Amino acid sequence: MTIVRELAISINNLSKTYPVPFRRLRAFFRRPVKEPVEALRKVTFDVYGGEIFGLIGRNGAGKTTLTKIVATLVQPTRGTVTVHNNDSVLDDEQVRKQIGLATAEERSFYWRLTGEQNLMFFARLHGLSDRIAKQRIRELFGKLELEEVARRRFGEMSTGNKQRLAVARAMLSQPPVLLLDEPTRSLDPLAAARMRELISSLGKQDPPVTILLTSHNLAEVETLCERVAIISRGRIRAIDTPQHLRSLTSKSEQVHVTVAGLNGTHESEKISFTRQSGDNQLDERLRDLQKRGARILDVAVERATLFDVLELYESSDTDKH
Amino acid sequence: MNSLKHLPRRIFAFVARDFRLYVSYRMQFFLRIMSVLAVVTTFFFMSKISSGFIDPQYAEWRDPLPTWLTGLAVLNYFMTGFSSLANSIRQEQMQGTLESVLLTPINIPTVIVASSAWDFLETTFFSFLYLFFGWVFFGVQFRGSFLLAIVFLLLTTIVLACLGILSASFAMVFKRGDPFGIFLGAGSALFSGVFFPTQLLKQYAGPKLGSISQILPATHGLKGIRQVLIEGHTLSQVTQPLFVLLGFLVVLLPFSLWVFSRAVRRAKREGSLIQY
Repeated sequence: MTIVRELAISINNLSKTYPVPFRRLRAFFRRPVKEPVEALRKVTFDVYGGEIFGLIGRNGAGKTTLTKIVATLVQPTRGTVTVHNNDSVLDDEQVRKQIGLATAEERSFYWRLTGEQNLMFFARLHGLSDRIAKQRIRELFGKLELEEVARRRFGEMSTGNKQRLAVARAMLSQPPVLLLDEPTRSLDPLAAARMRELISSLGKQDPPVTILLTSHNLAEVETLCERVAIISRGRIRAIDTPQHLRSLTSKSEQVHVTVAGLNGTHESEKISFTRQSGDNQLDERLRDLQKRGARILDVAVERATLFDVLELYESSDTDKH
Repeated sequence: MNSLKHLPRRIFAFVARDFRLYVSYRMQFFLRIMSVLAVVTTFFFMSKISSGFIDPQYAEWRDPLPTWLTGLAVLNYFMTGFSSLANSIRQEQMQGTLESVLLTPINIPTVIVASSAWDFLETTFFSFLYLFFGWVFFGVQFRGSFLLAIVFLLLTTIVLACLGILSASFAMVFKRGDPFGIFLGAGSALFSGVFFPTQLLKQYAGPKLGSISQILPATHGLKGIRQVLIEGHTLSQVTQPLFVLLGFLVVLLPFSLWVFSRAVRRAKREGSLIQY
């Protein structure tokens, strides 16, 4: 049986050029005029319900602009974005009901209010009653391990806690779509691992939450995301599963096998070979080694990573320019 | 319709937020009360060296102390009307919180109204304090219908708030340098008859400069409030300033909302919502 997944975010032929304010006026007074910045060019892709979709690219590639357009904070120059069939320009209020955005921007909170007071304010703006808001805030503080700092002023919180509070705010109204911009950037390794667990569990809950994740941590994207889009200079260069994207760079992988007892010796030995992903070579080599009396101590595989893929596209873009 | 249903709750959210922010700076509250008392006391002594006007055309200025106090109280309110909207938008932009507010399902008019609600509450308190201190410490008597005076106050404030919305639009696009604030801030004190009768302007500065006071909504609002509170006029006696204010409202309200929505659209197009 094929499960048809609902379309959560649909981005169609989206372009964004940031205009230069008062360009004609500047030109009239013969002031230096900057060129308009083309942040996105004909971006098209869909994200399905419950999917964790990664967006990777270098600084200035267009990730933040794209996220802000989906969040209705920036208007596109051309093209459309729909979130659960609501247009981000024409039905912006409806779109905002469906999304939660968590950025690493610390300035988006009131520094003299506590974490709890901050969330209460935003919960009221979302139209939650005080009773439901309090319950929800308690629940989120538990989930994100923020109970201890709930009554601490935002300005006095650590960067990691500020970031977790931003994620809690995004989840306040239980939106079906979450836009997470580098959600683990300032977290310690343990907290980052828990955040990844949380993100992963959101996609599996009922009803599932759709997540558009932008991150510079490529290992994280690889672990969490079903599909990944690579954006470079405002263009989407590739969209696929992390596995397929990796295979775009190189289908071969380096295998390093550490063995002991080979040819009657007691010393451990490292054997390396190259295989094509999915072929029988690894199986055959291991059987052969075992036949020769070797004890397999370790097998390590070096595959291309998303970093290699990103580098591939970036270098090809640089060549073109 | 849904927005209207949530409007009181959202206004409450902003008021609760701003109250909490306000009480996080406790000292300023007490200092402001003391400054109001100092101002009222100063004007009391100034009234002792000023005889006031006997001429019937200056009926409201017979005893200058209540006239000055109503002027000060109302000016305070008017200033909030046209400055608080732009200030709250500018402050949200400077703090970087405007984006996170606009990320909630809240429409622009609600942001405008709700974000300045606390300022109006605070100003109501301090404006009332001018009259209260005058009454308690210096025996100033106010007569006439307070209800009618409040109608005038609200109407004038809404009209000035429309100018405030235009000012907020300016802040949204140009970030700094607000011409409405400059003209209305300085203009209201000089041309609206807060400290002296507007007729004196005509007499000393000529009819052209004197007529500026007539195009300021604050002049008509203040005139109406003084006629009600000081002279004890009834509704039928204050229809002239009332209709002028209604005229301002009919023109300015839709225009200012239209301009503000255009300003927000422009800021979204330029991606400059959080820049200041």
